[in-house]
Amino acid sequence: MAVMKLLISLLTLGLTISCTTNVQVEGSVPTPLVAKIPANVAVYYDENFKTFVHTEELDTEGTWNINLGEKNLEFFRNLSNAMFSSVTEVDSPELTPEQQVQFDGLIIPTIDEYGFLTPKIGVLPFYSVSIRYQVLVLGKQNQRVAKYEVVGYGKSEGNSFTAGDAVGDATMLAIRDGGQQIAVELRHQPAIIEWLKQRNLD
Amino acid sequence: MLSVAKVYKAQLQVILMTMLLMGCASARIQQSRTATTGMTTEESLVILSRTSYNERETEESFTDCLSDALSGGRTPIRLMSEAEFKDQLYPWFEPRTAPDSSDDLARLFAQPGVQQRIDENNVRYIAWIDGDTITTDRGGSFSCTVSTVGGGCFGVTYWEEDASYEAAIWDLQNLTTAGEISADASGTSYIAGLVLPIPIMARPGNAACKALALQLKEFLQAEG
Repeated sequence: MAVMKLLISLLTLGLTISCTTNVQVEGSVPTPLVAKIPANVAVYYDENFKTFVHTEELDTEGTWNINLGEKNLEFFRNLSNAMFSSVTEVDSPELTPEQQVQFDGLIIPTIDEYGFLTPKIGVLPFYSVSIRYQVLVLGKQNQRVAKYEVVGYGKSEGNSFTAGDAVGDATMLAIRDGGQQIAVELRHQPAIIEWLKQRNLD
Repeated sequence: MLSVAKVYKAQLQVILMTMLLMGCASARIQQSRTATTGMTTEESLVILSRTSYNERETEESFTDCLSDALSGGRTPIRLMSEAEFKDQLYPWFEPRTAPDSSDDLARLFAQPGVQQRIDENNVRYIAWIDGDTITTDRGGSFSCTVSTVGGGCFGVTYWEEDASYEAAIWDLQNLTTAGEISADASGTSYIAGLVLPIPIMARPGNAACKALALQLKEFLQAEG
């Protein structure tokens, strides 16, 4: 009887595991080749951004747990260091009076939305991922300077046996795509140009 | 009885030979040259596939096949991997920022650090690969069964594939397009069920890859 119970437990465990796909996003973290924006900024990453995990249950493919927080954070730390003259990470979404003297502004990147499609539920024969990022730029007095939104997109080939890897690869490509838009386009936003002018930083 | 078996055997051999011949794929190559080429053993080539957000895209297996064929053989070409190149030049060769034509190279090289990275890695040429393999026709009937007294496969199924690829070669030293090479191949693959399934694969994508690699090597290594 005990053996039967053990077998049933193992079978149940096996079925549960087989219906859950855990994805740990991995990939290289390139340093952008862009001119630095001449500003001394603070950056705040909230807990959701640092530890972002997307969990979704699909009718046909079970539960997906996609852990991108760690790689996303590493990517954005590298990105912000390459984009600005000086970057300091702070632990509050507002600058303190001391920090207002020290920094030209505060950058707060967030993930607003994550979505993915598999060939079974999408129209394309690929695994595809989109990530909506928001980059909030605050001035010295914590006033809003700009809110910039980008959608990073990535897709990857794969089959049912390599679905987890394909979603992981597509997520990494979506992070790169979002990062690329921020690295290249943020500096050209009218509000950013104005902010730099006002601070005599351009 | 023996003669009937011999006739069946001969017929089977004829069918298999016919299918084997039809299963082959041969490639057609076209080349246009717009500038002189040539590369030293220290200089490298990067194979890049065009990324689009639609259904059609060059398969990773095709660029892998091309890289293997170019970096092997008697006269190997020094290659820098696509991933390493894109990392080194991030964010300028991502899907949204990659130059559309060699006319954009001058603008790209004006970006800080780009020229230096290209020089450090000794990248002389980029080959942009575009194209894919599609199934144009399929038919036949094929099934396999298993029962308590045994099993087997019966019938014939076939599918016809068309592979069409193009390489646009950019010279990063002269910031120009050096030329274009296209490779097309088609072939019909079969699976015949004679108790055991017998696959006869045409692999036109592989034929196009080998032909394109050979032509690309000649194009880049021959001074002309």
